[in-house]
Amino acid sequence: MLLPVLLTLTLLGCAHSSTNKTGKTGTETPPCCREVTPGAPLPDQSLYQLDSKWTSDHWRIIRLAALQGQPQVMAMMFTSCEFACPIIVNDMKRIADALPPEIRDKVNFTLISFDHERDTPEKLLAFRKRMGLPMAGWTLLRGEADDVRELAALLGVNYRKDARGQYAHSNTLTVLSPTGEIVHQQIGLNQSPDETVQQLLTLFRE
Amino acid sequence: MSLRLLILMLVAMAGRIVSGADTTAAPEAPAGMVAVPAGEHRPLFVLPNEPKTIPVARFALDKFPVTNGDFLEFVSANPRWRRSAVKRLFADQNYLKHWSGDLKLNDAAQTNQPVVWISWFAAKAFAQWKGKRLPTVAEWEYVAAASPTRVDGDKDPEFQRALRHWYSTPSPSELPRVGAGLPNCFGIFDLHGLVWEWTSDFNSSIMTGDARGDTGLDRQLFCGAGSAGAKDTANFPAFMRYGFRSSLKAAYTIHNLGFRCAKDL
Repeated sequence: MLLPVLLTLTLLGCAHSSTNKTGKTGTETPPCCREVTPGAPLPDQSLYQLDSKWTSDHWRIIRLAALQGQPQVMAMMFTSCEFACPIIVNDMKRIADALPPEIRDKVNFTLISFDHERDTPEKLLAFRKRMGLPMAGWTLLRGEADDVRELAALLGVNYRKDARGQYAHSNTLTVLSPTGEIVHQQIGLNQSPDETVQQLLTLFRE
Repeated sequence: MSLRLLILMLVAMAGRIVSGADTTAAPEAPAGMVAVPAGEHRPLFVLPNEPKTIPVARFALDKFPVTNGDFLEFVSANPRWRRSAVKRLFADQNYLKHWSGDLKLNDAAQTNQPVVWISWFAAKAFAQWKGKRLPTVAEWEYVAAASPTRVDGDKDPEFQRALRHWYSTPSPSELPRVGAGLPNCFGIFDLHGLVWEWTSDFNSSIMTGDARGDTGLDRQLFCGAGSAGAKDTANFPAFMRYGFRSSLKAAYTIHNLGFRCAKDL
């Protein structure tokens, strides 16, 4: 039942990007002021209301709404990060490992890059391989500077680029409900996965 | 006196028209904005090995904060940003609570008062609608450091005294209209003394309350900056702004928090 929704969203994303390439954006209404497309109503606090577009490590262009239908464990990072980001990915893997297999298959893990300049889809794919992240169940995304700033604001993640081009950032894992609402946040690195795992299990009991 | 001023302005305008023919001339600021020359911002806190200053390129900044009148035009043209339509994700329940309706100000006086009770998202959408953007912290702080007489306002004791007075005085329940005070030396009004203002990267300070939950290792990497020390511990207003920005969330709306727009030149 969800598949058509996902496909439509993906197609919308692709169609949109092709108009961009043909340069017909001059008269387009900026995202702030477009009327929201009617469709399945999303909860008032859903992150899936965001209009921003993101590119995956497989060059798929999506809106975040394409992630709906499954609980998400979401974190922000950048691939040339030497310290905190591998740890935050490991924290996510620990959560995945602690979930019963039948639940794990129904949870998606999403990593979003701060580094709109250097993190191309190729870099994201290399990061996926380096970190040993399976193709299924893990989504890696990059976006434009403003969109990254906006998503970070919603996730309560603070960051700034330092003089070396590295990103100083706070570390937060966010659990989103299938409709895109923040239901839980794990703040800091090397935290026990227990609480987040419990929150995810609760989503499946409901 | 006013005639002399008029002549001066005409001469200046004529100069601009002539220089406009020159393709190398720097672009002018749009109406209602001021072209701010390139400069630098000295952040209150810097990370270890970070330069002490952030360069700011030439840009345009609104002369005044956005008013309720301006914002009314915006919500009239964009129904999704009306009080009754806005999504809670983008603005909390107090959004535009000082108006008497979706498209109705409380009284005529509000027209020229700075708009407040607006979220970062709403401010950003307004800016986008105008073909502008919000200023960065570096841009805002660089411009706001200027006193009525000099760019380096920290060397103007009278200005510093006035700042400390405002930052330690609660906002009045009835806000004054915009542009009532003195402009700073760039010709920009109300950066202090009226309302606080949103910036595009308000969430760029990395010593937030969140750091409490961070591990020792993390603190070592990022929060060491806390002990790197502020550049000027006497700059009480800058500390207040820093603390205030750190406490904000993007959907918050507050009685004395407004904004103005910037634009690349």
